[in-house]
Amino acid sequence: MALPIAPINISAPVDIASSIAMPGGAQPSGDFRGVLEGAIQKVEETGNAATKAVEGFLSGDGQELHSAVLAVQRADLAFELGLQVRNKVVSAYQEIMRLQM
Amino acid sequence: MATGLHEPWCMLDPLANKLEHYMDLLSARQKLVASNIANADTPGYKTQDIDFQAEFLNATAGAPVNPVEVRGLAVRNDGNNVSIDREARLLSENALRFSIASNLMRDQIRSVKSAIEEGKSG
Amino acid sequence: MSLFSLLSVSESGMTAQRARAELLVENLANAETTRTPEGGPYRRKDAVFETAPADTPFSSVFESQLGQPQGVRVSQVVVDDSEPERRYMPGHPDADKDGYVAFPRTNPAEDMVDLMGASRGFEANVSAISAVKDMIQKSIDLLR
Repeated sequence: MALPIAPINISAPVDIASSIAMPGGAQPSGDFRGVLEGAIQKVEETGNAATKAVEGFLSGDGQELHSAVLAVQRADLAFELGLQVRNKVVSAYQEIMRLQM
Repeated sequence: MATGLHEPWCMLDPLANKLEHYMDLLSARQKLVASNIANADTPGYKTQDIDFQAEFLNATAGAPVNPVEVRGLAVRNDGNNVSIDREARLLSENALRFSIASNLMRDQIRSVKSAIEEGKSG
Repeated sequence: MSLFSLLSVSESGMTAQRARAELLVENLANAETTRTPEGGPYRRKDAVFETAPADTPFSSVFESQLGQPQGVRVSQVVVDDSEPERRYMPGHPDADKDGYVAFPRTNPAEDMVDLMGASRGFEANVSAISAVKDMIQKSIDLLR
């Protein structure tokens, strides 16, 4: 069974964060924005931590394998969640825009 | 809606941190067991271990772990006090506990993942 | 990499116990050898173990929490230099002018027990490698 690789590209955490952000550069307002920004920040944090952990393991610095794996899983979860939050925000935003028409 | 969304960040972490720390300690302990086994016939060598309980309560994971000499072991003529029986037992025990911890961890990760995916269709 | 360095520790244990076993077998096989290329009867050999840091290909100097893991190595082979045992056997091809033959001072019973110990030690190191492989596999499984 092939080892499933986490979908995030851990060598470029910044790209992930921007891919979660709103399409077309639309800016959510109020609560939506806070939640979305929190999600993006978490994705960046955990992504950086994962990169660091994996590099630590590979360079033989004494980083344990299970710690590196967990860091990757946390980043993966953060990304998933961030994606869902963003999708929710986008659809809610679109709903509101439609209402205002 | 806003407050509810912040909770998943916490869903994984307190338990996962504890499990990770537990696994760190088990690895450290297993390293000492392997050294003890390799040195089972080295003159003058004394069995080493870590004070698992104390280290686990000292909640900061990633803090350096202190190996201690084990008391109460019979010392042979060449000064060596390694008991192969003790080390073999610890070897199995540590591996088993590690296995349990990693299974718990995996379940935890899966639950959080499903919780996130559940929200998709909402 | 810490768990991986454990593999080197156990490997060093296996190597050392094997070397010890080989010497013991040599002692047992030569318990009655009266003639050697160096002259004189066979002399017992013993392996002396000493703690040694385990070398791993990937480890950096700054091993994480416990410091360098302790492996083992054979620091020296001690050749017994005590007086050989002399037995009175006038017809023996290696007898000296007085009819005495020099025999090795060995203790086969003790060597047999030691050999079992070396075998057990070897097995224990093999078990350690197996246990660690399990733990590493479990860590990888966390990705599933």
